[in-house]
This record gives sequence, structure tokens and C-alpha cells, in this order.
Amino acid sequence: MSIRVDPDLLLEIKEYGDGEVETCFNCGNCTAICPFTTDDYPFPRNMIRLVQIGAKDKLKQSIDPWLCYYCGDCSQTCPRGAEPGEIMMSLRRWLTAQYDWTGLAKKFYTSKAWEIGSMVVLGLLVAFLALFLSGPIVTDQVELNTFAPVHIIHIADLILAGFLTFFIATNVFRMHKNIMWDGMDKKVPLKLYFTEAWELILHTLTQKRWIQCDEDKEEKEGISKWLTHLLMMSGYGLMLIMVVFFLNWFQTDEIYSFWHPQRLLGYYATAVLLFGSGSAIWGRIKKNTQLHRFSHLSDWIFPILLLAVSITGILIHSFRYFGLPIATYYTYIIHLAFVAPMLVLEVPFGKWSHLYYRPLAIYFQAIKEKAKQEQASAKTAPASAD
Amino acid sequence: MPEKKDLQKDNEDIRIGVYTCYCGGNISDIVDCEKVRELTETLPNVVVSRTDMSMCSDAGQAMIEEDIRKHGVNRVVIGACAPSLHEQTFRGAVARAGLNPFLYYHVGIREQDSWVHHGNHEAATEKAIVLMNSGLAKARLLKPLKPIKLTAQKHALVIGGGVAGLRSAWDIANQDIKVTLVEKSPFLGGRMAQLETVFPTNKPARDSLHELIEKVIDHPSITIHTQAEVKSMSGYIGDFNIKIEQISRGVSSELADQEAVIDSCPVEVSDEFNYGLKTRKAIYQAYPGNFPSTLAIDWENCTLCGKCEKVNSSGIDLKKKSEIIDVNVGAVVVATGFKPYEPRQGEYGYGDFKEVITLPQMIRLLALNGKDKALMFKGRTVRNIGLIHCVGSRHVPGIHEPQEDGKVNDYCSRVCCTATLHMTNDIRQHYPDVNMYDVYEDIRTYGRNHEEYYKQASENLVRFVRFQAAEGPQVFASENGNDQPLVIKTKDYLTAGLDIEIPVDLVVLSVGFMPNPIEELTKILKINPGNDRFLQEVHPKLRPVETAVSGIILAGTAQGPMNIQESVTAASAAASKVSVLLGQGQVELEPFVADVDHDKCNGSGECVQVCPYEDAISLEEVTINGKVCKRAVVIPANCVGCGSCVSACPNRAIDIQGWTLGQYESMVDAIAEGMLALEVSA
Repeated sequence: MSIRVDPDLLLEIKEYGDGEVETCFNCGNCTAICPFTTDDYPFPRNMIRLVQIGAKDKLKQSIDPWLCYYCGDCSQTCPRGAEPGEIMMSLRRWLTAQYDWTGLAKKFYTSKAWEIGSMVVLGLLVAFLALFLSGPIVTDQVELNTFAPVHIIHIADLILAGFLTFFIATNVFRMHKNIMWDGMDKKVPLKLYFTEAWELILHTLTQKRWIQCDEDKEEKEGISKWLTHLLMMSGYGLMLIMVVFFLNWFQTDEIYSFWHPQRLLGYYATAVLLFGSGSAIWGRIKKNTQLHRFSHLSDWIFPILLLAVSITGILIHSFRYFGLPIATYYTYIIHLAFVAPMLVLEVPFGKWSHLYYRPLAIYFQAIKEKAKQEQASAKTAPASAD
Repeated sequence: MPEKKDLQKDNEDIRIGVYTCYCGGNISDIVDCEKVRELTETLPNVVVSRTDMSMCSDAGQAMIEEDIRKHGVNRVVIGACAPSLHEQTFRGAVARAGLNPFLYYHVGIREQDSWVHHGNHEAATEKAIVLMNSGLAKARLLKPLKPIKLTAQKHALVIGGGVAGLRSAWDIANQDIKVTLVEKSPFLGGRMAQLETVFPTNKPARDSLHELIEKVIDHPSITIHTQAEVKSMSGYIGDFNIKIEQISRGVSSELADQEAVIDSCPVEVSDEFNYGLKTRKAIYQAYPGNFPSTLAIDWENCTLCGKCEKVNSSGIDLKKKSEIIDVNVGAVVVATGFKPYEPRQGEYGYGDFKEVITLPQMIRLLALNGKDKALMFKGRTVRNIGLIHCVGSRHVPGIHEPQEDGKVNDYCSRVCCTATLHMTNDIRQHYPDVNMYDVYEDIRTYGRNHEEYYKQASENLVRFVRFQAAEGPQVFASENGNDQPLVIKTKDYLTAGLDIEIPVDLVVLSVGFMPNPIEELTKILKINPGNDRFLQEVHPKLRPVETAVSGIILAGTAQGPMNIQESVTAASAAASKVSVLLGQGQVELEPFVADVDHDKCNGSGECVQVCPYEDAISLEEVTINGKVCKRAVVIPANCVGCGSCVSACPNRAIDIQGWTLGQYESMVDAIAEGMLALEVSA
């Protein structure tokens, strides 16, 4: 099947980031320098080329953008200043928008008003709702669970979890359809989804591919980006589990001893979230690494929300610790006003979605490769039997 | 009569100076130059034998001069680089010392010996000795010669009124040499007049062209003949007799109501100025503001109906007249230019689909359309343009169909890449919504800063699609229901060979260069085209604007694809060549031409039969010892010293001066003896 060129796709994708797709003259230096590129996945060049001619379907079926960790070697090597690393970033945003059937992801990535507006509206809505539905205000001592009864919050949590699961599952289905069904001539055997499942778990938990990206970097300063990211993710994951599934245990009015796991886990998660989001924001202000040279609005919102949630979390804890009831209650509401948009809007429709798209992409890649190997050996097997 | 010091008596002592050059190690690293010196020193007639690190240096030359002056050296043999490099240098040194410069012989022991016999010092040294020995053998038989001096007319003919011809004419005229310029068409300016803004100035081509034309027209030493052609030529460098046929214009330069006259003409023919995008009348101007501004009659298409005469009877003469003008010139500049390659029927849909046009047509289309409004072609708005490169260029035998003459255009036309990209930037500026697809094999923006156009085109969102010759693009009609009438299908080698389809409203073929059809003229001038049909220079590096016929010089795209800048450079080079040839009022040629010994010649005429050149040798009646008889006579100016006559002569009556049969024989003998001696010693 031949591909019909589409001159508008380039302009569409340019809305998702700062890459200069049009200046690329396909020399391939970017692909030559990339530590991840393979014969089957010769990115970024192949992706940039598909954008140039407007091969929309091919792009939608591509895994390649998710295999890139934006070390920026390609951008540094590019003789035309096309910023291939940034183009790959734009493509991840664009793919996120393609997977999302609601159209919200596209709105958030391409319109500042939509992104900020919806965050603010949802934050305010949650705050008003919390104020409206809150229990009695006890002022002689901190009784957060009286003000915001934990079982109600937990129910809200579970509704939220259901909401998230629905949108994530439907979008992941669409991602799978694009990559594994539309993007392949033959369907892969179902059993491979099980045999390769460990890849999904391994990469979700370790993100070990990224280490390759950090190796031999001149700009490596202090702690590697991979480790920073992994720490932040561990804190984020921990918090998510404690807040969504163990809120009864986590949100207590009683202050446990310092060595109690509730406090230790909470401190750990908060510390790494502060460090991770803080260093991301600092990096984006300084623009001193390739990863941080270009910042889309979504790149700012992501760490800023994390930082805001962490700081308000610390404040709630401190106010309660020092016995300041009113301050605790109101900070709690502000905290909720940050948490809700972060979870409801960012995770399924925003930059957060990469936490499942990226490992899934690696998982799909592994399945595809396995299927290819099996096909190849199936072809040669009868010949060797003669 | 030769000068006194050149009078070598037969019994005169032959006193040879032998010089072996180290060439800074180029020779001496391989050849034992001292051994060469030692051995040659002892040979008969050798007075001195010397070596030097660099014989061509001032000190080396001075040494030779001193030997001539103080030691009475009267033959010089130098073993050094190839004669093409320093023969003239040493002739100068020998002449400065008062000796005839042709009493020197140059032996190439670098290119012919040290450079090709690395690692074999002994054999290389032996070879050098043998070669020097043969040089000595020739030197013993050298006779003084005099260069051939011809009177040169301080008048040049320039053929072609395009930018190259105009520039040549202007440059030559400024050297106080008269110029006659002939242009076949009724108007000056050539192809450049048909262009709009051009690289690298990004200014309108006609602005700079008109500036040049006005200067040329106003120059008192330049005579211009439009509608004129060269019909015959005789003579030789410095003294060519040329007949020019001048066709009458039919319109007076005083004709007032041009518009009304044009309107009155009922004939409509394809307008070549706009490459057929429009029609014009049979009484016409190429474009408003053309030179000369007088209208011209297209004699081929005029029906002589007389309607124009009814509008203005005094200014129009419908009787076509032809007049022969004789000019006597010293040199001729051939600036006959090029024509754009005309794609054959069906090549990329050309001729099959009206929406397939050539790059020159596109340039005219843009000019006719007007800027900053929708781009229209045949009543449709153009939103998608496909540009295909290398049409009529870089053809590969077996892949591309040959032309009528059986040849394929295997050369790169050089200009089309930059011209195409330059045009895309122009289009983007004036028609911002047009999509452009550049389908190319290679982008060759070779000129200074031309890469910038490529970069700009990228930034202007021109989409580049790369093909390979064997799987080039094809143009089809779109299936029904598509907005665009045509689709270009090709394999794109930037997308891993994927098949892609580009829907377009217009296909522009970046056609290459072809020389103008000038077979008649090349026969008249006796100059030759190369394999690519463009006129060929003598040497692409060292004599890039001269032809094999002395005094006939090339300028511009008659010689090969060039952009305006390069054409003008070539034109100025041609002009300076002409100025050097004619500036002194005489021309000096090397004396290596045929010389007939009338005592031996019996007038058989076989030499005349074999001579490949016209008027170089002929049988004339001469008086010998009071008897009138026919003998072969050489006209040195027309002889190139090829030696055909020497081999044909049954009486051994002809020799090439400076390269006589006797000299050859003695050289061969010396080599044979040397080889024999080596064999014996081995």
C-alpha cells in the first residue's frame, strides 16, 4: 500500500512541541548517535521522516517515540538544528492525544487555556465540594477525620480510581489496537502476552532501559536522571497506594511514634517527591541539560502539581503536629484541590500517562519481537527437517 | 632570414649543457641524479653537466644562462618535470642568455620515471640515463626556429546576443578592439531575459541584463546585428574572413503606434518568450521593454496580409530582404547558449497532461500570474505543486530512453537544483498557502551560498522526496473524486523505500540544459562538440575557453550548463583571451608546423589528400631553378603540426619543424643503444 502524503500533519505535530521537523534533511546522524536505535526501530530519523511526508497511520502505529528517553544526543548532533529529541517528545504527546478517545489530551496539549483552565476549575470544584460536604470543625484540637471523615474521602478515592481505570483502560486498548493490530500484518499468538508479561513488570518497576541513556554522558552531574526519576516514581507509587487503598491507615488523627511505618513511609515518599519535582523544576528553569532545554506547559504542570501536593502534605502534617486545627483543615482542602486535578486530569490525559504508556510500549515491542523470531524459526524449521 | 646569432654553421661546434633536476626530491629520491650527471658528462659534445635541487628556481635558471654566456653552451638538455609544466620557463631562460629558445630540449624524468618507478632506484636511474641520452641525440640535431608571427585584425566577432555574448563584447571593446556582435533572433538578452528574480542576487534578471545591454548598445566600438547569422568563414587566427547574413527587420525604429500595429495582425503563434504559455502575433516584441525596442516581423509566420501596413504604411516594409555583410576579424567568440531540455511525449506525463510543465514555463507562469494573488493555471487554482528534478539530466543508459541522436544526457545540468529551490522560496513568499513537493535524486546546490536556498526551502515547508534513477517517479491522472488532477507516485528512499503518492495540481519538471542546435555553425567554424554535444574546449583545466581552432573562443552555456554568474565569468575569460591574442596587433604561434623540402617534393599531392585541416597544405606553382612546377606549400597559420602529411609523403620531403624524422630516428637509436648497453652490462 502506498502512502498518500499529508502536508498538514507536520503543522499539527508542531503544535505539540518545539521541534523543527521541516529543517531535517534526513542525514541520519541522530539515529547513528542514539543508544537505543536498532534496525527495526531506526528512530528518531524514521519518525521525523514520517512526520515530513505526513504518514499519519504509520506514526499512530509506531512504538518508537516511547523507546526514547530524551538524552538529547541527537539534538546535539543534528547539523540542521531540527531538535530530533524534542520532535520525539512532541510525538509522545501527539500519540497520547491519538490514544485518547475523549479528545481531552489533545485539548490539554495544544491549548494553554484548556489545560490551566480545567485544572483550576476542577481544583476549585473539589475545594467547594469539600467545604460544602465537610463535617464539624473542631477547634480545641486537630480532628481532621471529623472535618473530613476518612470513609467519605475513601469512597471519593475509590470513585476516582474507577474513573481512572476506565479512561486508562480504554485508552490503553486504543494504543494496543494501533500498535498490535493495525500496525502488524499478522496477529501475534495470545500466549506471548503472558510469556512476555515479566517485561512489563520489570520495566515498570526499574525503567532500566533509561540507564543506557545516562551512560557516558558528559553532563552527568551528581545523581543520574534515571535514579532521580526512579526515586520520585517510588515515592509517587507509594503515596498512590497509601492514599487510594490504605487511606484509613494513612490518614489518622492520632500521631504515631516517629518509627511507625506510616510516618516513615510518608516521610520517604514526601522527601523523594520533593527532591524529584524540585530538581525537575530547577532543571527546567536552568535549561542546563538536553532534557530540560524545551519546556511545554505540560512539562511545568507535572512537577509543579507534585511539588504543590508535597508541600501542602507537609504543611498538613506539620499543622497537625503542632496542634493548629484551622490551618490543618484549610490546608487539607488546598491539598485536595491540587491532588484531584493531578489524578483526574493529568494521569489519563496528561503527561502522567507516560507511566503506563512507556512500559506498555516496551512490552508490546517485546511481544512483537518474539512473534517475529517465532515466525522466522517457523519458516526455517521445515527446511532443516529435510 | 634568421638573425646572425642563430646562424649555426654546419661545422659549428655543438656544445651541450646537460642539467638534471632533483625536483626537491621528487626525482632525486628515486633517481640517482649525480650518477646521471657523471655519465652524461663524458658523452660527446657535452660541455657541462650539472644538477640542482630545483632547476626552475631563479638560481637554477641563472646557472643555465651563465653556462650559455660563459662556457659557450649552444644546446641545452634539461631532465626535469613534464615539459607542459616548465618548457616555457626554460625557453625563457635560454632566450635571455641570447640563444634561440628552440635549441633546448626537455626530458621528462619525473612523470615518466621517478613518479612511476618507486622502489626501484637502479632501474629508474638507468631509465633516466637512457632518456637523457636520447634527449642529447635530439639536441645534437636541433636547429634554431622562429615562432610564426601573424598580423592580427583588432576586431572580434561575437556570435550570440545573450548575457555571455554581451559581456564578452563589452569586455573586448573596452580593450580598444572593435566588436561585431551577431544575434540570430530579433532581440538581445537570450535566456536571461526570460528569467525573473535570480540567485544569488535575488534581484530581477532583466534589471542587470538591461544595464549591460544599454552599455553594449551605446559602446562606439560595438556593432550589433540582430536577425543575423554567420554563413561562412575562411582564414586563420588574426585574419578570419566571415560572411554574415542579415535579414531585414521590416519595421522602422521610428514606428510610433506599436500597439495598434500589433493588434492589427491576424496571425497568432505560440509565444516562444513565454515557452508557449501564451500566443503572440507575427509582428511582435519579445516583452515590453526589450532591446532593440523596435518591433520585429516573424518572417516564418507572417502571411504578408498587409493589415499592419494599413495601420502604419511608412514604418513597415513587408519585403523580406537579406544582405551579406563581410567582416575581417582576428578572433571569434562563440556564445550560442543553450535551450532547455524538451521532455519527450509522456515523460513524467509531459504532453499527456496539461498540468505537467517545465521549470522555464513555471518561471514564466509565475511572472504572468502576478504576485500576491491566487496562483492560477488554466483556470484552476494551484494549491499543490510537485517538482521533479533531473529531467533531461543525469540520464543512465538502459534506464532512460535515448534522444533522437541515440545519446542520453548523462551530464548534470548543475543549475536546475538551485534554480528550482530558489523558485520554491519565491512561491512561498508570494503564494503562502501552496504545498510544494520536491522530488529529487540528489540536491546539488554546489555554488557559493546556494545551500542556503535548500535550507530556506526546508524551512518553507517544501517536502523533499528522494528517488533513485531506476525507480523514478511516475505521473498519473488522479482517480475520480480527488481534488487534485494528478498524482505523483514514487518510491521514497528517505522513508526506507516506501511507495508514496503525492496528489498535485501542477507538476513542474526541472529540465536540464541542451546546447542550441548549431551544427551548421560548428561546420563553418570547424569546431567540435564533445560527447555531451556541448562545444569542447582544448583542455578543461589549462585552456578552458579555447577551442582546437586557434582564435575561436568559447563563452557561456554553449560549452556546458552554467548559471548566469558562471556564464559571465566564462565570457570575461573569453574576452581576455581575445584581448591577449589581438591586443598586440599580431599573433605568435609555435613553429612546430610542417615544412616542405621543395628539392625532394615531386608534387604528388598525397599530403594534401591526408591533411585533416583546411588550407593548411596545398599544391602551388613554384619556380625552382627557373622551372615552374607544382610543389606542396604549407600555410603555417593553419597547420597544427599533426604530422599526417609527413607519414603520407612518398619522398620524405616533409618534416615537422622541431620534430624532424631525423631527430626522431636519432632518439630511437639512442634509446635502443642504451637498452642494449644495459643488457650487455647485466
